[in-house]
Amino acid sequence: MFASQFDGNAAFSGGGFMPSQATQNPDVGFSSNKNRDSQGLLPLTVKQISEASVSNDDKSNFLVDGVSVNNVTMVGMVLNRVERVTDIAFTLDDGTGRIECNRWVNEAVDTKEMEGIQEGMYVQIHGHLKGFQGKRHLVAFAVRPVTDFNEITCHFLECIYVHLYNTKLKAQGGAPTQGQTMGSVMNTPMQKESKGYQAGTPNQFSGQFGMDGLKDIDQKVLDYLQQPSNLGREKGVHRDELGQHLKIPLDKIMESIRALEEEGLIYSTIDECHYKSTGNG
Amino acid sequence: MDTSSPAVFVNAELLRMYIGRKVRTVVQIVRSDGGVVIGRSADEQQLVIKGSPPPLPLTTFVEVIGIADGNQSIHAEIWNNFGDIFDTSSFNRLCELANGEFKSLFL
Repeated sequence: MFASQFDGNAAFSGGGFMPSQATQNPDVGFSSNKNRDSQGLLPLTVKQISEASVSNDDKSNFLVDGVSVNNVTMVGMVLNRVERVTDIAFTLDDGTGRIECNRWVNEAVDTKEMEGIQEGMYVQIHGHLKGFQGKRHLVAFAVRPVTDFNEITCHFLECIYVHLYNTKLKAQGGAPTQGQTMGSVMNTPMQKESKGYQAGTPNQFSGQFGMDGLKDIDQKVLDYLQQPSNLGREKGVHRDELGQHLKIPLDKIMESIRALEEEGLIYSTIDECHYKSTGNG
Repeated sequence: MDTSSPAVFVNAELLRMYIGRKVRTVVQIVRSDGGVVIGRSADEQQLVIKGSPPPLPLTTFVEVIGIADGNQSIHAEIWNNFGDIFDTSSFNRLCELANGEFKSLFL
């Protein structure tokens, strides 16, 4: 219900850290939603960032291999760590070069995270790449010490993989849109182990519950309510519409609605006739 | 941003191409006595690591970053303990890729 007032994407500019939007643009299909696709977390080396071109449509956006770069993940050593009142600044040296980073510390949890980060330590950073007065720097939202050093090898192999993926696709003349490129990269098994690029989609949600022995009709009702277009409707779906669409008598629909409501999977909205899925709503 | 002094990923084979330049590699410690450390590189060759090791005891695998000062020797400035488990064959492949087809991502 509150989703329409609070745009998580705009507020946090993405990453895998916020629940995905499902309700924001009900008319736009998932695959073509630009806003979401540009949120991917791209593994990059400092060298690649230093050579990134500035994209024309938006000053703060960079392009690497033709793909727009916002959020990046990098692995390297922490140097020149300086604690300030509101943030901690440091230089990340990943062996290919150095980039200035800062991590804002607002909450106690941020302070705690950064206390463990010492000079000379290998860390993995998730952050937002910014350009300011011609200088590029990283605003980190997560800095985590590397404990298994195979992660370093893995990170650079990922950089190579993503570079190859983005350049090879283009060479094939497919001229993929940025969104498709990013989306497919994120879905490869190699990336899956990483730190949650995107939160689940409603489809995953229904899959999850499909195994819980919901009755056929319950599942159909739930599936219908979880269609992106229906998730986007503020009032939810009228029970008559459910009946007509699923060609199921109203009493059976109501039975399912009660069962799903008890399970906490759906809720009534403006009155007892309109229902919405709780998944990603 | 500064990419003027990168540390190149190398194995023993690649080390000789970078004499006088900054390199990084991971070795398995074979012997360490009196300031000189002997290590085995990811491509199974012997490397001599000079410079002063850190006060902490070295683990089985150690990353060294320093200047390549010979065909099989590195003068290390930075020593990082990488623990007792490390996949050297993946690292070896990474060295080859980072100096071959994908050099532009690193150097």
